[in-house]
Amino acid sequence: MHYQRLLRVLATLATLAALAGAAPAPVQSQTGVIQGRVLDATSGRPLSNAQVLVTGTGIGQLTNASGSFLLLNVPAGEHVVRSTLIGYTEAEQTVTVAAGQTASIEIEMSSTAIALDEVVVTGVGAETARRALGTSVEVLTSDDIAQAPVQSVDQLLQGRVAGATVNATSAQPGTGSLINFRGISSVFGAQTPVIYVDGVRVDNDQSTAAGTGGEQSSALADLLTSDIERIEITRGGAASTLYGSDAATGVIQIFTRKGTPGAPRITARIEQGIEVPELKYIFDTGVIFPGRVESGEVTGTFLQDEYFRNGQAQSYYLGVNGGTADVTYSVSGRLGDRTGTQPKDASTNYNLRGGLQASLSDDFTLEFSGSYVRHNFQRLYNGSSIGDPITTFEVGDALFFSGASTLREAFDIFLMPDIDEWVNRFIFAASARWDIRDDLSARITVGSDNRSNQQRIYQPIGFTPGEATGQLNRRDRSFTSVSLDAGATYAWENPDGSIGSSLTVGVQGFREDESIVNGNGLGFALPGSFDFDAAAEITAFEGNAEVFNGGLYVDEQLSLWNKLYLGGGFRIDAGSSFGDNIDTELYPKATGSYMLSDDVGLPFVDELKLRTAYGQTGRFPGAFLKDRTFSAISFRGESAPRFANPGNAELRPEKTTTIEAGIDAALWNNRIGIDLTVYDARTTDALFQVPRQPVTGQGTQQENVGEILNRGVELGVNLDVLNTRQLVWSLGGTFRYTHNEVTDMGGVADFGADGSQKRVTGCWTMVDGECRGGPVGAWWVTMPVDTNGDGLPDGSERQFTGGFPVPDKSGSFNTTFGIGNNLTISALADWAAGHQVFDWGSVWATFNGIYRRERVRCGMEEGAAEGCEYAFPTRYDASGVAQGKYSQNAARSAFLYDGDFLKLREVSVWYALPEAFAAGMNASRASLFASGRNLWIWSRNEIVDGELNGLSGGGLQLGGETSATLSPNRQFKFGVEVVF
Amino acid sequence: MMKRDISIPRWGRLAMAGVLLGALAAGGCDAIDPTGVNNPTTTDEDLAQATNPTEALLPGLRAQFARLINAYVVAEVVTDNYSIHGTGLIQTLDAPNEITPDIMNATGTSATGVYWNVQELRALANFVIDEIAPNDAGAPPALVAEAHYYRGMAYLIMGEVFSAVPHEEDGAPQPVEVALGRAVTDLQAATGFGPQTNAALARAYRLQGDRGAAAGAANAVLSADAEFLFAPPYDAGSIANTSVFFLVLRALQEMQPLPRLDFLDPKYTVRDAAIPIAKAEEMHLILAEVALASGDLAGAKSQLASAIRLAGTRGTVSFDDIDERRNADLSLRPRDSEILVRADADSPFRAGLVLDRPGDGLTISNISGTSLDADSVAALSEASDLWHSLWLARQEILFLEGRRLADLGIKLPMMLREIDQNPNISEGGPGTVPVLPGFVPVAPRYAMDVYSPVELYDGDGPDATLLSTMVTIGVDMNRVLVQNNASPFN
Repeated sequence: MHYQRLLRVLATLATLAALAGAAPAPVQSQTGVIQGRVLDATSGRPLSNAQVLVTGTGIGQLTNASGSFLLLNVPAGEHVVRSTLIGYTEAEQTVTVAAGQTASIEIEMSSTAIALDEVVVTGVGAETARRALGTSVEVLTSDDIAQAPVQSVDQLLQGRVAGATVNATSAQPGTGSLINFRGISSVFGAQTPVIYVDGVRVDNDQSTAAGTGGEQSSALADLLTSDIERIEITRGGAASTLYGSDAATGVIQIFTRKGTPGAPRITARIEQGIEVPELKYIFDTGVIFPGRVESGEVTGTFLQDEYFRNGQAQSYYLGVNGGTADVTYSVSGRLGDRTGTQPKDASTNYNLRGGLQASLSDDFTLEFSGSYVRHNFQRLYNGSSIGDPITTFEVGDALFFSGASTLREAFDIFLMPDIDEWVNRFIFAASARWDIRDDLSARITVGSDNRSNQQRIYQPIGFTPGEATGQLNRRDRSFTSVSLDAGATYAWENPDGSIGSSLTVGVQGFREDESIVNGNGLGFALPGSFDFDAAAEITAFEGNAEVFNGGLYVDEQLSLWNKLYLGGGFRIDAGSSFGDNIDTELYPKATGSYMLSDDVGLPFVDELKLRTAYGQTGRFPGAFLKDRTFSAISFRGESAPRFANPGNAELRPEKTTTIEAGIDAALWNNRIGIDLTVYDARTTDALFQVPRQPVTGQGTQQENVGEILNRGVELGVNLDVLNTRQLVWSLGGTFRYTHNEVTDMGGVADFGADGSQKRVTGCWTMVDGECRGGPVGAWWVTMPVDTNGDGLPDGSERQFTGGFPVPDKSGSFNTTFGIGNNLTISALADWAAGHQVFDWGSVWATFNGIYRRERVRCGMEEGAAEGCEYAFPTRYDASGVAQGKYSQNAARSAFLYDGDFLKLREVSVWYALPEAFAAGMNASRASLFASGRNLWIWSRNEIVDGELNGLSGGGLQLGGETSATLSPNRQFKFGVEVVF
Repeated sequence: MMKRDISIPRWGRLAMAGVLLGALAAGGCDAIDPTGVNNPTTTDEDLAQATNPTEALLPGLRAQFARLINAYVVAEVVTDNYSIHGTGLIQTLDAPNEITPDIMNATGTSATGVYWNVQELRALANFVIDEIAPNDAGAPPALVAEAHYYRGMAYLIMGEVFSAVPHEEDGAPQPVEVALGRAVTDLQAATGFGPQTNAALARAYRLQGDRGAAAGAANAVLSADAEFLFAPPYDAGSIANTSVFFLVLRALQEMQPLPRLDFLDPKYTVRDAAIPIAKAEEMHLILAEVALASGDLAGAKSQLASAIRLAGTRGTVSFDDIDERRNADLSLRPRDSEILVRADADSPFRAGLVLDRPGDGLTISNISGTSLDADSVAALSEASDLWHSLWLARQEILFLEGRRLADLGIKLPMMLREIDQNPNISEGGPGTVPVLPGFVPVAPRYAMDVYSPVELYDGDGPDATLLSTMVTIGVDMNRVLVQNNASPFN
């Protein structure tokens, strides 16, 4: 095939170019071939995707669907062939290769329920087997990732990580999920874990453009899942201590593919799909507004009939991966496009990625990875009361708000604005490792994330009521981070294996620069003007932030008889955001683990590891909040200053001290795996925005005054139900519970968090006559009250409802069926519970005189309202005379609903075509696949999606409130993947 | 297979690394120093570098004064002037007895931000007057006088709007009398700033009940300029006139006037519309009030007539109103000029108070408007009728200039944050609850804003038919003021 030859030539050229300056590996003349298969030791079932490697040579390959591999150019002589596969114990076999001959082997691998030999690097300074860890590190492998029907990393984490709650914010493109591990540990800033890609800290901001009615553009949306080799996740505590003042919310470390040795392997994947709007929470209540029903103008399902539509989605991927023993590479491109399920809801993304690993000598290795993402998307106003088509049609009076005489005209008016955004993102990382001696190695990683985006919100002439001349808002944000991580490890082991030590000393730090420029043009003379400088009034705003944080870390791992492991370490941190009187911060940690099953035989127990850890992590303050500052705006042509930040020379990071304990267990012939952790994480010196007395004219100042407790349990279980040659069936599940409590207000009065209706309080409930703090963001809303004791509500005041916006329980279920060697069916469901969600849609509905809640609860049929629970109780005056219903402002408690939900998140089917069929295409493997995502919802309430999170912008984002907006679309994809 | 070792031996690489590190240590560090950050806002150190700090900070005071006036004006929704229709303003503000300190917790320039903004203005003026100007040899006296004016206005508005507020950190709430006394002191130090200083003094003396001083200050203004007007403009690009958003721009035009004041609405139609801070009409009205309180009916008539005539000479704007007018229940409000309105059940129906809406080219007074005419006032003989005309003239001519709250004697509570943070203020104590004169009706809810019939039209939309041409407002607060001798001069 000509194209194959061409691609091989191109790949070789790429390899040669990458090796510029370095001599290519010499051609081996005395070589042979190893062919073989990898099989499950119990069932004899061939194992695909096992990594087979000739040790000491770099020659390796992944097995195909029938478990086969073929290793070429193996130097003649005796070799050890090693096979690794997640879920199996590593296996080796010795083989002798004769020049010009083919040696055949079969490698049998034993399944294991817990991957204790798996090596992780996150949070431990040097590569360490999980066996030796005193903490729990979650790992997603390339298998988990490659077949997941998702686009971005946040979607990938949904339901796949024990101890994580990952909830979507919207169906619209460019938005990300709220990710939370181990509860809300801070009252400022997002709780999103910090994210590293190949050792480089990347942008994880959830609010990178102007909000469009509760929906924010997120930097998570362009962290795509292409070519990810593995993801390691630490959820805070000792596992994150080495990241110092930056890791209280946990660390997600993504490793991208750098290729495996062998001839170029070309992977082509084509996906086509449809997206169907999830209409469970759309009721078309708006068009029943008084005066519109009887006209017969609409059927009552206007939104469903006229507005929403099924969308198309397509994705194309092409990747090349291969290399020699010294140089491996992985290069790919991906194009994704979707039309969306609402008008002006389309998105397109382009992704180019490359990874390279080069061994320049026996002891010196370089790695490089780079990616480029371009993301273009459109957006609609969603979740606001006016100007947003869904809200206005669903819970408002579209004719009144648009001034139109027909709903079709109103529809056209609400679709006038254009909200367009593009993102350009480059991430690159370079690292070098030098094995100075057998027991001493050094490594360094440097890299950068450069993300820029531009959002243009264009409201053309005729859209804005009262300002008929149109306006344009343009917002540009540029973000740059530079990361450095360098360290050296001295590893030593007593020859008898009784004691081993690994000591790592290193430095790690990053710098972030963020710049935001807003331009606004108001009033265009003519249609078609799209530059804001053509407007009658032009305004511009700018914001800049710079922050550096770095530190020295020391980590010691001690192993005793390969079953008792003790660890200890610390990080000393300095940062540009620390107050002038604060030089450094110290974060210590200590861990221990013990392979109990090595010493004590327990029935049904194959492996049992006990572990415990103590560790501190931190979260640095806002970039310039240590300084007393004055801000200024332009007013009447003059620069007009006022007080800004009051200043605090004692400002320091808040610290989370975590004590945790857990077990990793493999039971019942390695059929059941359990990963259980309990933890107590206490954030001290918590940064509260402490108000100054208004009489000072000063606003609020961040101060280290609070204390927040998170206590909980994280559980992951997997079960191999069946493991036969023809049928494999596994079940899995995760569970997470977190108790979140503000244990000390530091003398500060209750204050609002993430909006005025969520509160941080030290007195949520009374226990034994004393106040107990509430969870961060406890709901605090207006409620009807009886002020004169006559049993009739006559007043209104804000009170705590007893609810909170963040689920305190969440989990997932998954199952996978394998039938024969070719067919795999898997499903994933996730759930969250315990939280209350606030429905702004019903607020607007009620304001507009629509009793949305009753319609759903009681139906619309004649007389059905009798006996229904009204959203608003009747308000009485002091003498008991009815005054009509409470206003929506005075009875907001009526809009809080139980948020519990369960979603069937994914079902996917992969079918590997018979090898002969693939061979007919000159392919080594070919697969067909189909998947569905967001397929089914169960929710405790029928009004609002308990998963969705309307976001208010920067700062703490707790979610738990949304307006009339669309839930994530149902996605159905079909595709083919061919590997040449 | 052995990997090929590239040409540089280990000692060579060690040497290269050593040279690199040595070069960095020797001075290259600055070039790659990642730790330096630059705060883009002015810090204390930066301020110390300013060559003319008083001059530099004065625009900040002007801007903060504009913020305060915004909030002060929008706070008229608490009175009978406006009712709230929409979600941008907290509806509880329509029921003044229900306003709690947490409602006043805002720092923006809408109604609930009036406490924050008055304190920020006072604190910023303190900073300029007490800390910056004394150390600024180049501080022009005129600018220092202007700073005193803003602090005086802050104290004056404190006295008008709140029953008691602290004047310093950890300070106990100070009653109205102390605030007005400090206003007078500052305003007396600000006379170099122009007639607006005397206009403010006249207001302060009026609230103190000092007829002579009030008349003296008012006359001083009129002597300086018989048509005096101090109305600095707003800035469409930064601090815009907040009321314009609620009067015009938001799709739900959320501030809706009492039907008998419909002809005055919207007084401000564009974002940079100026709000009159001081004007000669108010001086005439103060002089009329002094005369009435002194039993000089002829003098009162003369001053009232002067105010009305001057108001008639002020500017107007032409406004295309696309709004249909709706009340808080989204029913159509009076919007036809054939509608007659009476101020209460005992008052006569009057024509010309309601404009045709939606309507093109409506003429609205943007400085002073009134339904009174000078001749009718001159024909009045009863003191009570003159008092009624005086209160009505104040309501109409000073419409959307913030005075109605003080005229009705309604005092708002301070913001919750102050109560929480100041150890010398406790909930329920002075200044922490709304204070209403007994004559301000609180039942039914929104009593000052209601009128009948509620259902004026047979349906919804532009084609709805008018069912009644006669509208009766529930209570005439001007009559209530007369009956209760509410003038501070009495």
